[in-house]
Amino acid sequence: MAREDEMKHFIFCILLLCFISGLASSTAALKTEASSGSYEQAPAARSPNAQPTGEEVFKANCGRCHVPPMSIPQRITGTVIMHMRTRARLSRQDELLLLKYMAP
Amino acid sequence: MGYIHNVNGGVTTLEPQINPILLVPFGSHVLLESRTDFTGFFERQNLTSGPFTGKVFKTVEFAQINWLANTHVIVTAGRYLLPFGLYGERLQPIWIRNLQDSPITSTIGTRTSGSGDGFMLRGVAVQKPSYSIQYSSYFSTRSNINQLQSARVAGGDVSLYLTHPHLEIGTSYQRFLQNNQINSVATYVSWQPPSIPLDIKAEADYSHNGRGYWFETAYLFKQLPIPPVFQRTQIVGRIQHFFPSNGGGNSLPSVNSQRFDAGLNYYVRDDLRFVSSYGRSFSSQGNANIWNVGFTYRFLFPLWPGRTK
Repeated sequence: MAREDEMKHFIFCILLLCFISGLASSTAALKTEASSGSYEQAPAARSPNAQPTGEEVFKANCGRCHVPPMSIPQRITGTVIMHMRTRARLSRQDELLLLKYMAP
Repeated sequence: MGYIHNVNGGVTTLEPQINPILLVPFGSHVLLESRTDFTGFFERQNLTSGPFTGKVFKTVEFAQINWLANTHVIVTAGRYLLPFGLYGERLQPIWIRNLQDSPITSTIGTRTSGSGDGFMLRGVAVQKPSYSIQYSSYFSTRSNINQLQSARVAGGDVSLYLTHPHLEIGTSYQRFLQNNQINSVATYVSWQPPSIPLDIKAEADYSHNGRGYWFETAYLFKQLPIPPVFQRTQIVGRIQHFFPSNGGGNSLPSVNSQRFDAGLNYYVRDDLRFVSSYGRSFSSQGNANIWNVGFTYRFLFPLWPGRTK
């Protein structure tokens, strides 16, 4: 029983560590947005009600399930995005924005 | 593809796996897609001693044709993954999941094979700059055809995605329409705070055979002030609890079960990573330690040359 408690404590600590690390990194001064990918970067400041850019659609949707792919052969990008539109239930608008962003 | 070395309660299992996906577009509105799972299970002859023996299992997970009619409607026919909860359709591929072992409740809403044979409608019901609502609805027939087994079920899934906080809340419903007609329900939350590489997912499931929940969080070190080589490290934690009812069954435990997992993954690249985890399960049938070590690799290539513009 003591071992079970120990284990619960250990896992709780892992979960807590995730949160604390996240909070620490968000407040860290060095906000090195590590989007080191090969895709084009969008301008920073925009109105909140403006239409999203391809980069925003990419970050918002791809990262919901997996680490966003940083390199896809351009020749098959359209097919992969069609697949993801079906899988992730993306809109036609998102599909076009992603295509423009990932295979300009 | 990937390889997992699993030790569960002292029993070692070697699990090489490859999941080829075929995508064939016909214009910009029709897509044929399929995924087949080849997983090997190799264990020692006497579980803890002797040479490794086993076999490779083949499963057609989906083989479907999609008509992407417009934003609101995608029509799917054929064999498809049952859209129930977060896990089955979205997190199942080994290169996506943060922890290699599925949650206890992942079999709820995915009977009998995880896939359905029939029709599905899905798409975006509403899309605004600040939110969107997605839906899926399906009907599957009963099938006993080799590799294409499925149950007669009907169901649906609706989720609300809030764009700015990257927060998704959804619910799934399914009615099993053969033998004992039963309902299964799932509610789930998925949150990726925009400013930090944190991934939080949670799901609660209910069915005739039991109810349970899991809560998982994963953090990628990429914003921490540490050497870049360590910024590709990810830590994962998951807790889950299952409460059987009506004796459990249908791939669910028959006794109250808890499990905790802690994982450490390392992304060599976005498509290649090393995975490891330690878990401990608790139940009246016995407690056990579960270890997983392995790697996952996702790659893609065109089958034939693209058209010239």
